[in-house]
Amino acid sequence: MIQFQFITAFLLIVLGIYAFLAKNNLLKLILALDIIDSGIHLLLISLGYRIELNEIPTAPIYTGYETLKSPMVGPLPQALVLTSIVIGVCVLALAMALTVNAYRHYGTLDVRALRRLRG
Amino acid sequence: MNCVGDDMGVIVRTAARATIPLIGIFGSYIVAHGHLTPGGGFQGGATIAGAGILFLLAFGLDEMKKRYNKNLYSALEGIGGLAFLGAAMLGIGVAFFYNTLWHNGPFFSGKPGTLLSAGFLPIMNLAVGLKVFTGLVSAMAGLALYRRWRE
Amino acid sequence: MSAEILPYLIIIPLFGAFSMPMVNLAGRKAREAWAVLISGATLAVGSWVFYWVYEKGTVLYTLGAKSPFGQANFPIRIVWEVDLFGALMVLMVTFVAFMAVIYSLGYMRHDTGLDKYYTLIIILELGMLGIAITGDLFNFYVFLEIMSIASYALVAFRNDTWEAIEAGIKYMFVGSVASSLILLGIALLYGEYGTLTMGYLALKLSQNPTIVGKVALALFISGLLFKSGASPVHMWLADAHPAAPSSISAMLSGLVIKIGGIYALARIAFSIYGASVSVKTVGWLIILFACITLIVGNAMAVIQTDMKRLLAYSSVGQIGYILLGIGIGLAAYGSQTGEIALAGAIYHTFNHALMKGLLFLIAGAVIHQLGTRDLNELSGLAKTMPKTTFAFLIGAAAIIGMPPLNGFASKWLIYESSALFNPVLGAIAIIGTAFCTAAYVRVLYTFFGRPSERVMEAKDPEKSMLWPMLILTIAIIVMGLFPWGISDKVMIPAAKALENQLAYVATLMGGG
Repeated sequence: MIQFQFITAFLLIVLGIYAFLAKNNLLKLILALDIIDSGIHLLLISLGYRIELNEIPTAPIYTGYETLKSPMVGPLPQALVLTSIVIGVCVLALAMALTVNAYRHYGTLDVRALRRLRG
Repeated sequence: MNCVGDDMGVIVRTAARATIPLIGIFGSYIVAHGHLTPGGGFQGGATIAGAGILFLLAFGLDEMKKRYNKNLYSALEGIGGLAFLGAAMLGIGVAFFYNTLWHNGPFFSGKPGTLLSAGFLPIMNLAVGLKVFTGLVSAMAGLALYRRWRE
Repeated sequence: MSAEILPYLIIIPLFGAFSMPMVNLAGRKAREAWAVLISGATLAVGSWVFYWVYEKGTVLYTLGAKSPFGQANFPIRIVWEVDLFGALMVLMVTFVAFMAVIYSLGYMRHDTGLDKYYTLIIILELGMLGIAITGDLFNFYVFLEIMSIASYALVAFRNDTWEAIEAGIKYMFVGSVASSLILLGIALLYGEYGTLTMGYLALKLSQNPTIVGKVALALFISGLLFKSGASPVHMWLADAHPAAPSSISAMLSGLVIKIGGIYALARIAFSIYGASVSVKTVGWLIILFACITLIVGNAMAVIQTDMKRLLAYSSVGQIGYILLGIGIGLAAYGSQTGEIALAGAIYHTFNHALMKGLLFLIAGAVIHQLGTRDLNELSGLAKTMPKTTFAFLIGAAAIIGMPPLNGFASKWLIYESSALFNPVLGAIAIIGTAFCTAAYVRVLYTFFGRPSERVMEAKDPEKSMLWPMLILTIAIIVMGLFPWGISDKVMIPAAKALENQLAYVATLMGGG
């Protein structure tokens, strides 16, 4: 069985790295970082989704766990992804603040202009 | 021109007036039921912060400046963090993050699945919700209030 | 198992950082006193942890319960595990951070937004302490990101200058990509082995080493070399460290690149992968990067005219020495040479934190007095700032490796082991030192030269800036008095603790 989620995650990561290397706009670079992160999050969260004995797992809600027939997906990767998303929000907010400041100092969002530090 | 400085017209304002309380209630629900259903402090706090951002966009920066107090929001954010830390330290006698309320505590020790269960988790969800809401609104307001450089 | 003191290493800075917005309402005196109090208390706890680990051996602490085992038969909880190497890093971080906070009182007096500055500096310390004590891979990632985000913000703290913004943006992009690589490695390891606890992961890896584990190791090494500023990707370091306020530069150069780069690399390479990959290959890979870093960093330092930039490039060079020690320790795993090299690397990590911290604080004092860091305008500083120049003399002599000071012993261990391992590496290390000497002699020559008009009105800085410099100078001199005693009593056992993967795993598995 083809596991499309891993292929998608891999494609997202590669796409993000491509955008990170090829683009010059600061906002696009921030988006590229986010795309790489999304790919890793997809990879992580699909690790918890394992189909065993042909039973589709359900959401990990422990209320009424005893009466549940099918298995649950692993809750740990979800917690990890949530933590990682929170960290991503912090980085995103900081990146935006820095970008605003960079626009004020340089008058452009092109990273090629950010070359005054040398040597 | 319509930049962030002014509001977005009567239609958007009316719609926002109607939806902001609903978004707030829904976010509060997510925070309060964080230990029972998917969601929790961060997601609920982010939802409530969405209401704040909608307010900023619909009513404009001038209205936001009247309602937004930087020191108050910083202090609330700190209180959220301190409450989280305090909840984590309740069981320090056994271990850091030990859930003493659930194991032997006086409250929040009900049957799993009810609202008053799961020990320190509801407290932590409330604390994180407060912190995320104030933090995200502060970040958004900080970006919006940034000194204009071309005007 | 009495390790109740360990969580306070995290609790105290966290409490200090969260309560800073409220303390700030009471005015600037309260804020400064609070920052000093918090970092001082953290130093006390850090010293106690070091003493405890030194006397009693590796400490294991489980979050949320008595033992790391739940109802399962493998560790499922987050654990903190501190061996002697980690404890030494804890001591280093708390000490230098305390000095940097005291120094900030005078140095940052004329800046605004200082409540955020002190919050961030305490959070930076918290992140580094967390990395040093953690025994869980995802916990490590969270602390790494806490540390990184705080340092991005602190590099760009003076956001009214273009230099800080440009450096902050470069640092942030490089750092975020490196963090993503590390997270990808963690995700792969979790998918393959289903656990995140370092000790248990080591066990699973040694039972069943797979190709996925090796890919994850490659991702870890590349991400952590990014973070430590090794040579092909050192450019962000040379931009970011000079642009930050000097007290932050001292912490970035002295602590962040070591904890977030070297320490994490050593921990992952030895404690997780020690028994399951060909350590010789990994060791030679790190040695290769180390040699490039060593030559490039020190050589670039010679041609700088900007004082802080010179110090930043010198940091790159010294990271090369430490990486060389780690690499030889890996390649000669288990032999006497490897142990000496590892001890030298650990010793040099500690020494370099003191020396580079001191040198950046001095650079800050010079900038504070004269408003410039261009070496061409600083000639004759010895006349008007004698105490500062004396401290610089000690720091520079120590970093070159002059015999009576602490840098000599650690560098000697690295030279000795590299010459024993492979004479070519020894020769490369000596060449690096030659460049390093040239760079610092040039600065000293400037300081002792004919006074220019500009430096005539300069004077030694105020007390709150002078004392941290003097304390660091005294620490360097005192450590230089007992070089081999410290090496035998602390550094060699630390190297043994790092090498001994079995003990690391046994502490975890036997803790229940």
